[in-house]
Amino acid sequence: MEFDHNFFVGFAKSYGLFHMMVIFFGAVVYAYWPSNQEKFDRAANSILEEDEGTQS
Amino acid sequence: MLDKHAKLERNALAFVFAIIFVASIGGIVEIAPLFTIDETVEEVEDMRVYTPLEVAGRNIYIREGCYACHSQMIRTLQDEVERYGPYSLAVESQYDHPMLWGSKRTGPDLARLGEKYSDAWHVAHLINPRDVVPSSVMPSYAWLQRNSLRYDDMGLHLAALRKVGVPYTDEMIASASHDTYGQARPDSERADEFLERYGEDSNVRLFDGDPGRVTEMDALVAYLQILGRLTDAAHQQANDQTEGD
Amino acid sequence: MVSQLTRDERGSAMILCVILTLFGATLGLMGRDDVLGWHGALLALSGMVLLFVVMNKLYDPDPDPDRVTRYYDDPTKVGVIVSMMWLVFATFVGDWVAWLLVYPEATFDAGWSSFGRLRPVHTTGVIFGFGGNALIATSFHVLQRTSRARLAGSLAPWIVLIGFNLFCLLAVTGYMFGITASKEYAEPEWYADLFLVVIWVVYFVLYLRTLARRQEPHIYVANWYFLAFILVVAILHIINNLAVPVSLGHAKSYSLFSGVQDAMTQWWYGHNAVAFFLTSGFLGMLYYYLPRRAGRPIFSYRMSIISFWGITFLYMWAGSHHLHYTALPHWVQNLGMTFSIILVVPSWASAGHALLTLNGAWEKVRDDATLRFMFVAAVFYGLSTFEGSFMAIRPVNSLSHYTDWTVGHVHAGALGWVAMITFGTFYTLVPMLWNRERMYSSRLIEAHFWLALAGTVIYVFAMWNSGIVQGLMWRAYAENGTLAYSFIDSVDAMRPYYFARAVGGFLFFLGGVIGLYNIWMTTRMPTMEKPPVYDLPPVVEAEPAE
Repeated sequence: MEFDHNFFVGFAKSYGLFHMMVIFFGAVVYAYWPSNQEKFDRAANSILEEDEGTQS
Repeated sequence: MLDKHAKLERNALAFVFAIIFVASIGGIVEIAPLFTIDETVEEVEDMRVYTPLEVAGRNIYIREGCYACHSQMIRTLQDEVERYGPYSLAVESQYDHPMLWGSKRTGPDLARLGEKYSDAWHVAHLINPRDVVPSSVMPSYAWLQRNSLRYDDMGLHLAALRKVGVPYTDEMIASASHDTYGQARPDSERADEFLERYGEDSNVRLFDGDPGRVTEMDALVAYLQILGRLTDAAHQQANDQTEGD
Repeated sequence: MVSQLTRDERGSAMILCVILTLFGATLGLMGRDDVLGWHGALLALSGMVLLFVVMNKLYDPDPDPDRVTRYYDDPTKVGVIVSMMWLVFATFVGDWVAWLLVYPEATFDAGWSSFGRLRPVHTTGVIFGFGGNALIATSFHVLQRTSRARLAGSLAPWIVLIGFNLFCLLAVTGYMFGITASKEYAEPEWYADLFLVVIWVVYFVLYLRTLARRQEPHIYVANWYFLAFILVVAILHIINNLAVPVSLGHAKSYSLFSGVQDAMTQWWYGHNAVAFFLTSGFLGMLYYYLPRRAGRPIFSYRMSIISFWGITFLYMWAGSHHLHYTALPHWVQNLGMTFSIILVVPSWASAGHALLTLNGAWEKVRDDATLRFMFVAAVFYGLSTFEGSFMAIRPVNSLSHYTDWTVGHVHAGALGWVAMITFGTFYTLVPMLWNRERMYSSRLIEAHFWLALAGTVIYVFAMWNSGIVQGLMWRAYAENGTLAYSFIDSVDAMRPYYFARAVGGFLFFLGGVIGLYNIWMTTRMPTMEKPPVYDLPPVVEAEPAE
């Protein structure tokens, strides 16, 4: 395969879509994996735990 | 794969690499082809380099932030071509380190400004724009006429430009400061030497109209008068297209 | 401040000050025939002043050994104040240049005060001075709280904060001297750029080392955004600023890239500076301070993860929408346009779940101006990201590009989103930091809110109008088929809008002054009797987490 200008252009035009889909699915699967639920809930609430007895 | 994900976020360093990986793809894939683009751009034979005085003028253009209000990029739109001239080609800014395409037109585009107005008009306009264009909002640049141009180091400037790819010869670099003077002093011997090196078509004039010192005004006007005139390619292409229609 | 350092640390600080002084002196000597000489002198002088400050307290008693059980907030405190000072300075300059477009004579007959040199002073002052300091200050605060660990080192945060501000100082004074690389939002020259690289590496290492000490296994999402900000800004900064200096004694350098490559690199940088400096970092702020202020967890933690990867990935492709219809190859323009349009999805996800977090707490938004700042910020974030995707569409861009519409868009983002979220954050953060019961005056917060909102709305509407009028006038044809207006006609038509813009800018500036006063007066209020227990890191038992 020749690595000329046309190759790079073709690569840029096609690969982006593929890359985007992989990352999107990766992120969605990770975010919605059932066993992660608990961890995320904990994280979301963790920053509020310190709040006891405060007036900020 | 999911275990890896959990680990990934536990290990900050792995997370860092993930960010670099995800983020850098776009830039690399998109910019890389531009470095092979010269394979597809036709060679333009008449493309010339900026003379030392024009380089100095360009640096003043940059220093004063002219690019904040004036673009140098005519887009491929009918009204722009009619207003400013043939649309800009990639080759025209081939030697522009950095490019000055600009992003805002508080004032008009300058890509084809060269020789549109006289030197005297430019000098008057730069000293006080409202003398020439009554409702202009451009700042006055009167101090350019008062400041002498520093050009003893133009050789270093040209040498640096050669390092980034502009084809200056050893001779041009060695005589850069003489040439700067020569281009702004038509009656001097250095003017003839300058013309020998840069071609008879180059402008040799008293740009600021003052036979005394070489001023920053000389340099800036010399630069403004060459805008869009480094090559004839854009005009030729426009003519070819008209004939083809 | 110095007395919080140990004797050893004070010694190291002195060595660093000496290095800075020597570096400045060398630069000054090499550049003595050039404007570079002034900057060398400025650095040397700064080094000596800092040295004096440290030496003055050198023999103070060692700090309380218990300090390692507390969070280290001195750099955050200084960062907040300095950030607000930059805001006041930079919006003042911004309003000055806005007036210059109405009254071009309202300046001095000298280079330093002309529009072209002051404009980057404004942009750099706001983006890096105000925004950068706000990000550094809040990232230190959030990092420690979410990791439940003290900053890794007492000296490093000061290197970051002071070094970064020296960089900003080099930048803005440089423009006035006439030193600029002319790359928009990356104007500082090669030596300042190199200086920033060193500072940024220290910042990055400090961040990672503190994360490594964390007591929580999971890294809270705000830190993801801060990390992406630090990392990607480093990549962008280094690549975009590659250049060959004229000599080591010249401030001037020539960009490694030219023409079309340079344009693409510049706007790849420019657009991602918006993404990773002005969006990612400030989203980090939002994800910590908004839930804290509202007293509710973020609406959907999952959505924030998806948005994060979406933004991190998509922005990188979008830069070429700044170059529609130019000499840039057509396919690059289309690629940029496509990804810019998709970008609205993760952006709206972020804006949306910021608003959904507030759902159920609307009475707080109504009563609490601090929370209202954050609410308005989220709304403007949604608006300007939609507008950005819209403007990236080629035909729309053919009208909007080169006009004031772009300026309006940028300010909808900068004033409406970046500044508003920062004000909301500061009003939340300042009482926590100084251990005060509340801010000095809630009425002043209210005044600041309305001034900032009115200023932003006036500004943005004026620029929308002027931009569209400009764009339409440029492309209008008369009946006989010639262009209907000369360029100067369009300049004349701008006058009322430029006037309105300058008024809007002034209101915003005034709000900033009130904000700075309010924060300053809060620091002078009496401390609460005992420090709240909540704001202490847990006792470290064994090995810190991996």
